[in-house]
Amino acid sequence: MASVSDMYDVTWEEMRDKLRKWRDENYRNSEQIVEVGEELIQEHASKLGDDVWIIYEQVMIAALDCSRDDLATTCLHELQKQFQGSHRVKRLAGMRLEALERYDEAFKMYNDILQDDSTNTAARKRKIAILKAQGKSTEAIRELNEYLEQFVGDQEAWHELAELYINEHDYAKAAFSLEELMMTNPHNHLYCEQYAEVKYTQGGIENLELSRKYFAQALKLNNRNMRALFGLYMSASHIGASPKASAKVKKDNVKYAAWAASQINRAYQLAGHGTKETKCSLKAVEEMLESMQIMPS
Amino acid sequence: MAEPELLLDSNIRLWVILPIVFITFLVGVIRHYVSILLQSDKKLTLEQVSDSQVLIRSRILRENGKYIPKQSFLMRKFFFNNQDDGFFKKTKRKVIPPSPMTDPSMLTDMIKGNVTNVLPMLLIGGWINWTFSGFVTTKVPFPLTLRFKPMLQQGIELLTLDASWVSSASWYFLNVFGLRSMYSLILGQDNGADQSRIMQEQMSGAAMAMPADTNKAFKAEWEALELTDHQWALEGLEEELMSKDLDLDNMFSSELPTGIF
Repeated sequence: MASVSDMYDVTWEEMRDKLRKWRDENYRNSEQIVEVGEELIQEHASKLGDDVWIIYEQVMIAALDCSRDDLATTCLHELQKQFQGSHRVKRLAGMRLEALERYDEAFKMYNDILQDDSTNTAARKRKIAILKAQGKSTEAIRELNEYLEQFVGDQEAWHELAELYINEHDYAKAAFSLEELMMTNPHNHLYCEQYAEVKYTQGGIENLELSRKYFAQALKLNNRNMRALFGLYMSASHIGASPKASAKVKKDNVKYAAWAASQINRAYQLAGHGTKETKCSLKAVEEMLESMQIMPS
Repeated sequence: MAEPELLLDSNIRLWVILPIVFITFLVGVIRHYVSILLQSDKKLTLEQVSDSQVLIRSRILRENGKYIPKQSFLMRKFFFNNQDDGFFKKTKRKVIPPSPMTDPSMLTDMIKGNVTNVLPMLLIGGWINWTFSGFVTTKVPFPLTLRFKPMLQQGIELLTLDASWVSSASWYFLNVFGLRSMYSLILGQDNGADQSRIMQEQMSGAAMAMPADTNKAFKAEWEALELTDHQWALEGLEEELMSKDLDLDNMFSSELPTGIF
């Protein structure tokens, strides 16, 4: 097997920097991390200095994702030797037990951490993850709500709660959680778009209006969000075709839908760069838009 | 009236001024490391963490509430500020002012603070006063009144000498405060050698008790939230968005990323 450094012709420093970039930007590309990280810790562990510990942690979590228990155990042992009695390492040991589906032992481990330090958020979140893995979504939701009562500022937890509610089809509460996220991150177009989708799913004229507004907001924050553009088209056409809307509202929404359709066409034109296939794909887009048209009921 | 210019021996510069600077600096660095060794862990309770996050959430609601629909904003405002059972009205935290008698950890903290900061300053100040006494060290560039003489001219028994000429003890104190920025440069912010910051903390710490802060903070947040109104930021959004075409430049690049590197 060729080593990573041979295949891509990179030095160990570049590999280390790449791992750092993945760490800082929260990438979850576990297979790549395992490839690069395994070689780094096997060949170049001594050159890494103090960086080696955080790389062990990163590689261990990636190894659990890829079912590489051997690699995970190696990393865990190194960390346990160096940092005895550390809560952070204990949490990693618990994660490994979770990966092996030994949920009760993992649960006990996290409880030990919490007995020692009741403010440890990582252990509490892992307990909720165990419930989710076992499929007990209602309990997971209840525990997550209790957690959020204490730690109102944890954005990761709010997003997880939104996802759980969407899976349970409780869209009102999902919308509430997404609102928290939108407030703390007003410039993130993805939260606006997800919120708009939830509102669209709830249905009803006011929710459709809200969803159209938030699709527009997502577009304003990021002009290239195609999903928001399609969402805008759909929500505007839906309101335009609804019998309960007043004449003015209908007119406005038809105008919005037309604008959205023209922008979609423009985007597909740009994508084709004027090649022969463009004509075919443009036709496909037009047909698609027509088929998505909502007939007045 | 013209002041007679005193000519100081240049040996003073070599053997007094520079040594005092070095001594002050080294003592400061040693103080910093000693304070790190003696530092006790501050354990936060669950309640404190929770309260601080609630305050942050309320602040965010005030600042960014305009991005969520009006109904949602009012719902949250109601939750916090409701007359009977709003969070800020209902929650009262138990307030025990941490006096040194009741809280043993506070007592040890106080003693450690004294030992690391006040004691060395007194000792070294006194030693310098004793060693480098009997002569004028330097002249401050601005005129001072006669009232400063006993303070700044310790050990020099001249009645007619201008108060601007000071002894080595005052040069030492000047250094203690002046080297603060040097410490920040070398030891990083928030270092244990920062004398004046610690004294400031001690003085302000005596005037305020920490736990009472939570109740007052809640009250302040309640008032601020009462005053906030909801101005929906998305009001005229569609018109603004659709006034021009979307900016789709560089959306489709012909280069695709290959592999890891």
